[in-house]
Amino acid sequence: MLLMPKQELDGVELFNLSLSIVGTVLRDGDQRVSDLAELFEVSEAAINKAVMAVANSEDVKNYETHFYVDVDELAEGYVSLSQGMSSLSEPPSLSRRQLSSIAIGLDYLAAIPQFKADADLQALRALISESSPASATSHISSRLTEQIETLQEAMSKDLAIECEYINQTGAKSSRTIDPLRIDFIGRRHYLRGFCRTSDELRAFRLDRIQSLSITASAIAATTKALPIPEEVFGEVTQEQIVQITASAEAAEIFWNFPVAGNTKRTGDQLQGSIRVGNLAALGRHVAKYGGMVKVISPESARSAVRNFARRALAGASAPGDED
Amino acid sequence: MAKQSPAERLFTLTCCLLASPVIGLSKQDLFDAVPAYRESSGGDALEKMFDRDKKALRNVGVQLEVKNNDAFEEGENARYLISRGAFVWPAEFELNPKQLGLVELAARSWNTQIFGSAARSGLTRLKSRGMVEIDRQLQHISPRLVAKHESFGPLADAISATTTVVFEYRKSDGSQSVREVDPLKLRLIEGEWVLLARERKAVKNYLLRRIVSKVKDTEAGFVPPGDALITQAEQDLVAFAASKVAVIEIVPDSEAWWHFGAESEQLELNFMDEALMAEDLMEFGADLKVIEPKSLADRIRAGFEAVIASHA
Repeated sequence: MLLMPKQELDGVELFNLSLSIVGTVLRDGDQRVSDLAELFEVSEAAINKAVMAVANSEDVKNYETHFYVDVDELAEGYVSLSQGMSSLSEPPSLSRRQLSSIAIGLDYLAAIPQFKADADLQALRALISESSPASATSHISSRLTEQIETLQEAMSKDLAIECEYINQTGAKSSRTIDPLRIDFIGRRHYLRGFCRTSDELRAFRLDRIQSLSITASAIAATTKALPIPEEVFGEVTQEQIVQITASAEAAEIFWNFPVAGNTKRTGDQLQGSIRVGNLAALGRHVAKYGGMVKVISPESARSAVRNFARRALAGASAPGDED
Repeated sequence: MAKQSPAERLFTLTCCLLASPVIGLSKQDLFDAVPAYRESSGGDALEKMFDRDKKALRNVGVQLEVKNNDAFEEGENARYLISRGAFVWPAEFELNPKQLGLVELAARSWNTQIFGSAARSGLTRLKSRGMVEIDRQLQHISPRLVAKHESFGPLADAISATTTVVFEYRKSDGSQSVREVDPLKLRLIEGEWVLLARERKAVKNYLLRRIVSKVKDTEAGFVPPGDALITQAEQDLVAFAASKVAVIEIVPDSEAWWHFGAESEQLELNFMDEALMAEDLMEFGADLKVIEPKSLADRIRAGFEAVIASHA
């Protein structure tokens, strides 16, 4: 089961947890600390801290602010509290910021093919009034929708897939992959999985996958337990450091590559270095900004960008323009 | 008693405000009642702590009201109380397990502290309402909202505080101007963060990537327009994008062909911003050619020429 990570909570998050525990315990009665930890997906230490925040919160001169927490029970692993004369019996409804953050997340989900027509999601977005109308510009192909459905089926059955993959160099290869997760980042879908062909965890862009099919080969439990890195950059074996400048509008180029060292901002210009695995692939990433990104060095990188733009202008699909 | 933690301080403040008389409590009443305030060294540090706490309460949904005797600012005579209405949940706010699973997925998608924390705390509160059964069939999908623009945090804060902001904005034609706007909403459209904001009386959309200065919060409050105006502005953007169509010709079996899921050599694509569309298409180099509009084809040609010139 994939759960939210148990993170260290800051003061406001702990306060929010305290309000939530009060609501739960006053409605459903005494609770085990371990059950509350599982419910709210936090550590037992966080539950204890949040309950102690309730216990230590009162204006000693005003009995209407008193909550009664059984500290001995807490030491035994149980949360037992009563509200006394306090009028706080349940947490407040969600704040504008809480609603907004959930609403933006739901809008984002609605851009994923398999959720586009999901009735539960539509009802949820209507309930949270901050939801926005769906974009008219999504280029979701039926091929992508089918691919995601096939991958979901493979993952739910714990079966490997076979496909052909065209990598950044344009080279086509047959792969057997244990699919673990589908990432949706920005507008791109990535399959995160263990590639049996290359014997390592990899990220594969879905729009570069062809001839996808499910095999009868099961995914090993040890493979399923592999930690998946957050970033999709992948392993770079022969990287080069490329120095670039970018105007503020094209700052995202520093997010799309691993950055080497610090990025310096002067006015509306950013300067820094990125780690590039294959110079031939750099051309497209720089040229798309139409001059807002400039490669300073090395010359081989400048040349790769220049050549990509020249070929694009000539309108000819020259071999080797992709990597 | 040991020094209160921030969570204890906020909880005490909430309890005191809930127990306040109808006219509310003065700042001094609160400074006397909450142990952390009472035991602080006072002065500016205490005032700043109180300001932070007011903001924190609002961010988690405790609607703090300030009743001023002075019409213009929150003075020493201001009275503070909590709106009881904030604790009344909408009757229809019940989610089924699948929907709670979707909320969890939405909360998990955030990679930024500001909204990620707000979304997670919102989910925690939904669970405290007894909505605990989560359908985790969605576990194989991992959407991620990446918000790295410098302007994102200040704008999110100003939206919560309903305060006007100022920034420099550069349009795609290169013209730059100072904008003073009432920020209303942040949205991710086609991978681009967009701010919906009111400038003078019109509600407009601003791309965060084109905000080229730091965002300055003027701290001047504003009254947000009604939902109808915001909804209208969003629908206008959708209608605008629907009316903008690019016709492109794609080289069969090329990367662009597979990327766009093309089924014939000519493809129609909608777009909301011509400059962004040009970027999307330029990435595929010679794999495709714009047939129309001519302005888009010209923009792409000029873009490649600029790249060649700057890398000569």
